Amino acid sequence: MAEKDFGSTFAIYAKDHVPLPPRSAEVLTTACDYCTVACGYKVYRWPVGSEGGMRAAENALKTDFPYQGVLRPWVSPSQHNIVRHRGKPHHVVVLPDFETKVVNTNGAHSIRGGTLAQKCYNPENRTSERLLYPMIRVRGTLMPASWELATEVMADISKYILKQYGEHAWGIKMYSYQYFENTYAITKLGMSTIGTPAIAPHDKCSNTNDAAGLDDAGIDSFAASYEDWGMCDVAFMSGVDPYETKTALFTEWIMKGANPGKKLIFVTPHKTAGVAYGVKNGGLWLPIIPGTDTLLHNALARIIIENKWQDQAFLDRWVANRWEVDSGYGRGTRNTGWQWRTTWGTWQSDWPDYQKFILGRDEHRVENAAKITGLRAEDIRRCAEMIAKPLPDGQHPKTSFMLEKGNYWSNNYMNTTSFSALALICGAGNRAGRVISRGGGHQRGMMSAGGGSGWLNPEKYPGRRKKSFNLDRWMIDGKLKFAWVFGTTWFAAMLASQELADAAYRMTRGNPNQISNLDRKAIFEVLKKRVDSGGMIFVDSDIYPVEPIGTQIADIVLPAATWGEEDFTRCNSERRLRLYAKFYDPPGEAKPDWWAVAKFAQKMGFAGYDWKDSNEIFEEAARLGRGGVLNYQPLVVKARAEKQRGHELLRTYGTDGIQTPIRIRDGKLVGTPRLHDPANDWGEIEGQEVHRQWLYAFNTHSGKAVLLKSPWNFPGWIQFYDAIKPRSEKGEIWITNGRVNETWQSGFDDLRKPYLAQRWPYPFIVVHPNDARKRGVEGGDFVQVHNDTVYVQTGEPTGVKDEDLNFNTLLKNGHIKTTEGQFVAVAVVSEEIREGVAMANFNYPSAPANAVCHAVPDPMTNNYRYKLGRGVLTKLGESPYKRSFTSMTLKPRHII
Amino acid sequence: MSQQTMKPHEHGEDREGGVCMNRRSFLLAGGATVTVVALGAIPGLTAAQGKPQFALRASYPRQKVGTLSALATGKPVNFTYPYPQVQNMLVKMGVPGGGGVGPGSDVVAFNLICPHQGGPLHGTYKPEHQILGACPLHLTTFDLTRHGMVISGHATESLPQIVLETQGNDILAVGVMGLIYGFSRNVVNPRAA
Repeated sequence: MAEKDFGSTFAIYAKDHVPLPPRSAEVLTTACDYCTVACGYKVYRWPVGSEGGMRAAENALKTDFPYQGVLRPWVSPSQHNIVRHRGKPHHVVVLPDFETKVVNTNGAHSIRGGTLAQKCYNPENRTSERLLYPMIRVRGTLMPASWELATEVMADISKYILKQYGEHAWGIKMYSYQYFENTYAITKLGMSTIGTPAIAPHDKCSNTNDAAGLDDAGIDSFAASYEDWGMCDVAFMSGVDPYETKTALFTEWIMKGANPGKKLIFVTPHKTAGVAYGVKNGGLWLPIIPGTDTLLHNALARIIIENKWQDQAFLDRWVANRWEVDSGYGRGTRNTGWQWRTTWGTWQSDWPDYQKFILGRDEHRVENAAKITGLRAEDIRRCAEMIAKPLPDGQHPKTSFMLEKGNYWSNNYMNTTSFSALALICGAGNRAGRVISRGGGHQRGMMSAGGGSGWLNPEKYPGRRKKSFNLDRWMIDGKLKFAWVFGTTWFAAMLASQELADAAYRMTRGNPNQISNLDRKAIFEVLKKRVDSGGMIFVDSDIYPVEPIGTQIADIVLPAATWGEEDFTRCNSERRLRLYAKFYDPPGEAKPDWWAVAKFAQKMGFAGYDWKDSNEIFEEAARLGRGGVLNYQPLVVKARAEKQRGHELLRTYGTDGIQTPIRIRDGKLVGTPRLHDPANDWGEIEGQEVHRQWLYAFNTHSGKAVLLKSPWNFPGWIQFYDAIKPRSEKGEIWITNGRVNETWQSGFDDLRKPYLAQRWPYPFIVVHPNDARKRGVEGGDFVQVHNDTVYVQTGEPTGVKDEDLNFNTLLKNGHIKTTEGQFVAVAVVSEEIREGVAMANFNYPSAPANAVCHAVPDPMTNNYRYKLGRGVLTKLGESPYKRSFTSMTLKPRHII
Repeated sequence: MSQQTMKPHEHGEDREGGVCMNRRSFLLAGGATVTVVALGAIPGLTAAQGKPQFALRASYPRQKVGTLSALATGKPVNFTYPYPQVQNMLVKMGVPGGGGVGPGSDVVAFNLICPHQGGPLHGTYKPEHQILGACPLHLTTFDLTRHGMVISGHATESLPQIVLETQGNDILAVGVMGLIYGFSRNVVNPRAA
């Protein structure tokens, strides 16, 4: 009988041998390059030509191979690579550290970190796509150039633009996480030296808050330690499945930790593996309609208040009363960026007023909230019981509250204000196992040099407050003449992505003034004509060619050296600081971004950029970060006293690192597990310390947390929400977006890792079977998602009256442009997603799911509402993955 | 019934010096009948002290692991291969899969140890989805229709697949695609004929 042909198009990478590191291998410590958890890793490096033996005495893992057992050191083929170290070929094996007692205990690792070795440059595999030398675009094609010429050209035109158009015509779009040394150098250039307001991080259109409602309540977004998630009885997780996006935090601390029997509640339309695990173990899945979390939180608060389940002792001690709310004008001095929000009266509250608000509105009744949120009333009631109902002994359950982007990227301000208020009345916020915190996305690698120039921003809120600077709008409006982009896709990561990319293309390649040869003076003349005729210049620093900004748009592309190619530092989401050791040579002419910044700054004639290595920046930045939660200045002071370098002292802390803010007691460095915890109060401070009351109290003037009200019909929200909901007459459904475990904070590498490229060769969209059936879509089909009405905010809207920045007023006054957006994805048809909602792959450069989402920022915070896209799904045909046996499994994620 | 082998997933030569198995190497490995335990070829195997738990074979054996007529759809059967310590399962999925043998190309075999951190996958087969898992340690799941690819979870490799052939009604294991957890090599010389 002949074999049937069921697809055989793609490669299989299945090795059945891997070299073991010999006893002589050098061992260096680092942490993962990807998600916020930052598991500790060890790098074993040895020259090509030898291998370790299978006997324990003959390999660096001190393990006899082969063995059959669990949780022991093992090298998978993906954990090995061959790199150049000091010009000579070396084996490297990158393994989770089995000895660490923090973060990733028991050798835990994700599929991303577990394949770190595969990200290292090796010309024999797809990492050969790395950028190897600076390039300048000549008539559309990138040509090799020297660092000298590239930075001279940048400096020539920058000087002209700064003189002719001013600082705010010169901008930076930057990662906020890719190591302290780089972010400090970049912000020193942009904010301190040039002094432009036109700087935005990779994940926001402006330099604004992420979870603003937490900030306004006085809660630091990264107040918790991982051990808190281990200790709690109940974890309420909003807009996040940490199994997908915080792997070792979930597997080592949420599934285990001090209390492995904890109950898990997930508020998300997508039932992924962590949700399925939670439900199987007595937890709850609340598949909410996108954008309606505020009402869920308020309905839960109502049930709690009606039943008197609130933690009254905590409220009495730790929540501000009316007079305390007003002290310091809500949260501090009147000059704080967010002060205006809390003093308006719409939001600020105290316990009696908050109760009145919750009980006084009909939409907070559970039946009414159930209708709008799409949840079952009994599930909302059960959730309230789980998080707040006192136990038979009268004790309150130890509930911790985690939020992430499903929460604050759908209704930025109100989902976070209502979330923080709910958590506070349950008694969470400042003690072991009872925390309020973000889960985290990327790691905490921003060390700002400060000195921003927000006062140059033409936008302002009603009243006299300046808004944060919306770089997307500024660029679309043609006000930006020069943009230096560091390690981000910019367009795919923001909203109305295609509109944004079109604007960038129009002002660069669409302008008739194109570089036609590599003569420095000729380049300056043509770029001058470009900017004087409404065009602009893009410089893109990255490790790979990025679609479309690097491949199609940028005039200058600079090759960056990255993880493993330079000594770097940063913190994870429990503020744990580690040294990420250099262990191999960067490819070609690639240089760390701090080096490129310094080179450019020197060409500009700026002083203060003569760093010899990354450690010098680490030490310089310490002083400026000492007032913040990432303060490591005491480590640098101690290192200097001991006549060693800051990086070298940190290296001795290995994969354990130390949690910031760091303090000194009896001459020893002491880390800080949890913020706002009264146990952190050491009394009088000494030496290098800076007095910060958020160490042992909430981050408000009174030290008490502020309860915030979140009225569902607030016009700054409801007008937008009503305008962007899916239109049933057009057959639209919600198109939300997100990422999955296999490609989380690692998208820039994944297509170059053979196994991950095989797993996700093309972006997905998860569609409910009922939605798929109606549209004739089957798993593996290519589908187009199209939204014919995508809103984009334009112009310079300044608020004078309260309603000026609300959607309807913006529309009336001509500040809302209507455009369209589409993308193509491979359908995964599965009951894991709520019906009426489809979840697409976020920030995939060639298929930007954000193209169908609206670039109208939350008027309260100037942050985007990324998750609220809509669109019509149309089958285009079968993808090659539909019948392949080797690529892109289409199976459901919630089977456990 | 003709002899069935791994389907031809052509993908070029091994570029890194490791072993990237293709049809040819499967055939070579599967065609070998050498089961001599080779000592001396590998460091550590000949040492007098600290012996490994078991010695490696020179190449993959051909071993009968079941019969087509005895397999019921959705009901896995466990077997050991290529060593008595290494546990695998054979299953008729009812839908075709990569490397599947039998009239429906739906009979496949996989190792039962999770290539993430060694968790046992015994008894976790989900016949309605052709999924193995979730692993009890960290919840990884594997798609048995697509060569054991990770669906969700943390393994950095697909689940090692036992390469099958049929001879009449007999199902033979002839090789392993992918490194078995706890091993640094499956056999002494995986490419030896």
